[in-house]
Amino acid sequence: MFDFSIFTKWLDALMLSVMPEWLTLIIECVLVALGIITLYAIFAMVMIYVERKFCAFVQCRLGPDRVGPWGTIQVVCDVLKMLTKEIFSPRKTDRFLHGLAPFLVITASMTTFACLPWNKGAQILDFNVGVFFFLAVGSIGVVGILLAGWSANNKYSIIGAMRAGAQIISYELSIGITMLTMICLAGTMSFSEICQAQADGGWFIFRGHIVAVAAFILYLIAGNAECNRGPFDLPESESELTAGYHTEYSGMDFGYYYLAEYLNLFICAGMASTIFLGGWAPFVIPGLDGFNEIMTMIPGFVWFLGKVFFVLFLLLWERWTFPRLRIDQILKLEWKYLVPISMVLLVLMALCVSFGLTF
Amino acid sequence: MNAQDIMFVVLAVFITLSALATVLSKSIVRAATYLLFVLLGTAGLYFLMGYTFLGSVQTMVYAGGVIVLYVFSILLTSGQQEELRQSTLQKVIAGSVITLIGIGIFVGVLWTHGFNPVELALSKPSESVITMDTIGTQMLSTDKGGFLLPFEAVSVLLLACIVAGLVIARKR
Amino acid sequence: MANKTYFAGLVGGIKSLCTGLGVTFRELWTPKVTERYPENRKENIIPERFRGTLVMPHNENNEHKCIGCGICQMQCPNDSIEVVTEMVETEDGKKKKILKQHIYDQGKCMYCMICTRACPQGAIEFAPEYECAVFDRQALVKTLNQPGSKCAEKPKPAKPAAPAAPAAKPAAAEPNGAAPAATPVAPAADDKKAKMEAAAKKAEENAAAAKAAAEEALKAAEAAPEDAALKAAAEEAQAKAAKLATVAANFQKKLAEM
Repeated sequence: MFDFSIFTKWLDALMLSVMPEWLTLIIECVLVALGIITLYAIFAMVMIYVERKFCAFVQCRLGPDRVGPWGTIQVVCDVLKMLTKEIFSPRKTDRFLHGLAPFLVITASMTTFACLPWNKGAQILDFNVGVFFFLAVGSIGVVGILLAGWSANNKYSIIGAMRAGAQIISYELSIGITMLTMICLAGTMSFSEICQAQADGGWFIFRGHIVAVAAFILYLIAGNAECNRGPFDLPESESELTAGYHTEYSGMDFGYYYLAEYLNLFICAGMASTIFLGGWAPFVIPGLDGFNEIMTMIPGFVWFLGKVFFVLFLLLWERWTFPRLRIDQILKLEWKYLVPISMVLLVLMALCVSFGLTF
Repeated sequence: MNAQDIMFVVLAVFITLSALATVLSKSIVRAATYLLFVLLGTAGLYFLMGYTFLGSVQTMVYAGGVIVLYVFSILLTSGQQEELRQSTLQKVIAGSVITLIGIGIFVGVLWTHGFNPVELALSKPSESVITMDTIGTQMLSTDKGGFLLPFEAVSVLLLACIVAGLVIARKR
Repeated sequence: MANKTYFAGLVGGIKSLCTGLGVTFRELWTPKVTERYPENRKENIIPERFRGTLVMPHNENNEHKCIGCGICQMQCPNDSIEVVTEMVETEDGKKKKILKQHIYDQGKCMYCMICTRACPQGAIEFAPEYECAVFDRQALVKTLNQPGSKCAEKPKPAKPAAPAAPAAKPAAAEPNGAAPAATPVAPAADDKKAKMEAAAKKAEENAAAAKAAAEEALKAAEAAPEDAALKAAAEEAQAKAAKLATVAANFQKKLAEM
C-alpha cells in the first residue's frame, strides 16, 4: 500500500532546504487549504449530480439529461449561475451576522472535511484526539445556522433555525455515543491509527460483529439528521418554511449552505466508512492470499471513495424513501429510541472488548 | 521569531479584539458571536501549545455548547433585537470603579509573578502529546494528582441541572 | 404506535421502514417514464381525446361538412370562432348559404369543446396536436376550411373522410405557415386504427369476464335464495355484464366503419 506521507515529507524537506521555516509553513498551509477547497468544490458538484440522478431514478424519472451527456454539465451551469447571482440582504437585518453565518457553517464543514483519511499518510488533520476534534468542530456549524435564522429577521428563518438547533444538538449525542462505541473497539481516537488498525486486523464492522452493525445503522440515522437531510429535513422543509434558516440568502451566501449541506453528507459518509468500514484499508480475507494481493494493489483513496459512495448510496436511498418527520417525532426518535439503544450498544461493546468477544 | 510566535501574536490580537468587541457591542446576539470568537481563539492557543484534548474540549463545550445555549436562549426569550439602554451616570461611575479595581489586581499579579523567558516546551506539537488513554486514566484515577473527585463533583452539578429542568418542565 | 409497547413499536417501525426501502429499491431499476420530448416527437403518442387544436376534417375531394350555420360562433364563450358565409345561387335557382371562411383564433380558445358539441353536422373537432407555440400571436388565427373546399353534398353521406381527415389538415390549412410542422399523416391513422382494435379487444375481454362473474354471482344467489344481498349483487353483476357487452359491440361497430 502506497504511503502518501513519503511524498509530503519529501516536499517539506525540499522546501525547508531553500526557505525559512515560517515561509515553508505558510506555503504548505496555503497548498493544503487550496487542496481542501478544490476537493470540497469538486465533491460538492459530484454529490449534487449524484443526488439529482438518484432521486430521479427512485421517482421513475431520468433526472437532468439536457445539458451535456447525461446532464453532467448541468451542475457546472448551476454553479456558474449561483456564482453570478446577486448577494442580497433584506432590510432591518443584522448585516454583519447575516454575512457571517454562512462562513461559520462552511468553516465548520471544511474543518471536519479536513479530518477525513484519504489514503495512508494523506490526511490533513490528524492527532491523538481526532474523533473528538471532529465532533467538536462539527458542533460549531449549529451556531452558524442559529445566527442565520436570527439575523434574517424572518419568521420562517427563525422557526427553521430553532428546529435545526434542537435537532442537531439532540442527534449529536447519539453520534457521539456510537462513535465512542467504535473507539472502545479501536482503543484510539486518532483517525490514522483507526485506519491502520483496520488495515492490519480487519474492518471494525466485521470485528465488532452485531454490535458494530447496529452502531453503524444508528450512526447513519443520526448522521443523516445531523446533516438536516432525508426524513429529518424539517429545518429547511421547503413545503412549510420556504427554505428554513436560509430563506433570506441568495447567490453564493446561499451557495455556501448548499455546499455545506452536501459536503456534510459526504463527511458523514466518510466518517462512517472510516470508523466502520476501514477508511482506506482494503478488503482482505485472511487465508486467500491471491485475492488479498489484488485487493491491496488497489490504491487507498480508491478504497476510501468506493466506501464513501457505498455509504452515500445507503443515505440517499433512505433519504428518498421516507417522508419528513414532525419535530416531536424527531425528538422522540432521538431521546426515546436512539440514545437508549446507543448507550446499550456502548455497554455491550465494552463488555465484548473486555471479555475478548471481538475478532 | 519563529512561526509559533507569529501565530501566538495573531491569536492574541484576535482574542483581545474579540473580547473588546464582546463587551462594547450593543446587540446581545452580536456579543455572543464575539464571545464565540474569543473562545475559539483560546482553543487555538491550546492547539498551538499542543494541548489538543484541551483545545477540543474548549471548542466542544464552550463554542459548540455554551454559545449555542446562549444564542438559543436569546432566540427564545427576546422577540426583537434588544439593544442596551443608555446607562446613567451612577452606573458609569460604579462600572469604571469596578473596572479599575479589576485592572489593578490583574496588572499587580502579572507584575509580581516574574515570568521566565522560556521557550515553549513543544516546538513540534505532534511529537510529545499525551495520548488519550493517559488522559482517561488520569481522569478516573484516585492517586495523587488524579481527577476522580472533581470529575464526580461535576456530575453533582449536572444532577442539579436535571432536577431543575424537571421542576420547570413538570406539569402542575 | 400509541397502544403498543416500546419494543413492539420499535420492531414494527423497523419492519415498515424496511418495506419502504424495498419499494424504492425496486423502483430504482424500473424503466423510466420520462418523455424526452424534442427527440421523441416522431414516436410520441398523444391520446386521441387530447384537445390540442380545433380542426375541420376534409375528405379526399376537399369537401367538409360545415354548412355555415354559425352555431359554433354563437356558442363559443370566448368569441374565438368567426364564421364568414356568403349567399350563392345554385344551378337550380335556389339561394344557398355557403361557408367562405371558418376563422378560428386559437389564442382565445379555452378548449371547452362546446363548439364541437354544438355543431349539428359534426364538421369541426379537436385534433391531438400539441406543438402549438408560435412567435406571433397573429399566427394563431387560423382559417380552418381549406382553400377551394366546399360543403359535401347531402345525398352522398360524408362518412368515409371522418377518421383519416384530421391529420390530413395541417400543412394545407395554415396559410401563413407558422403552424407546427407537418405531423406524420398516415402513421397517425394507422395508430388510431390499431389502438381502436386493441380497445375493442379489451372491451370484449372485459365483457366476457363480467359475464362469467355475473353467472357465478347468479349461481351463488340461487344456492342461497334467502340472502337478499347476494341476489342484489347478482343482479348488479348481470347489469354490468350487459353494459360491457354493449360497449364491446359498439367498439366492433366503430371498427367496422373505419
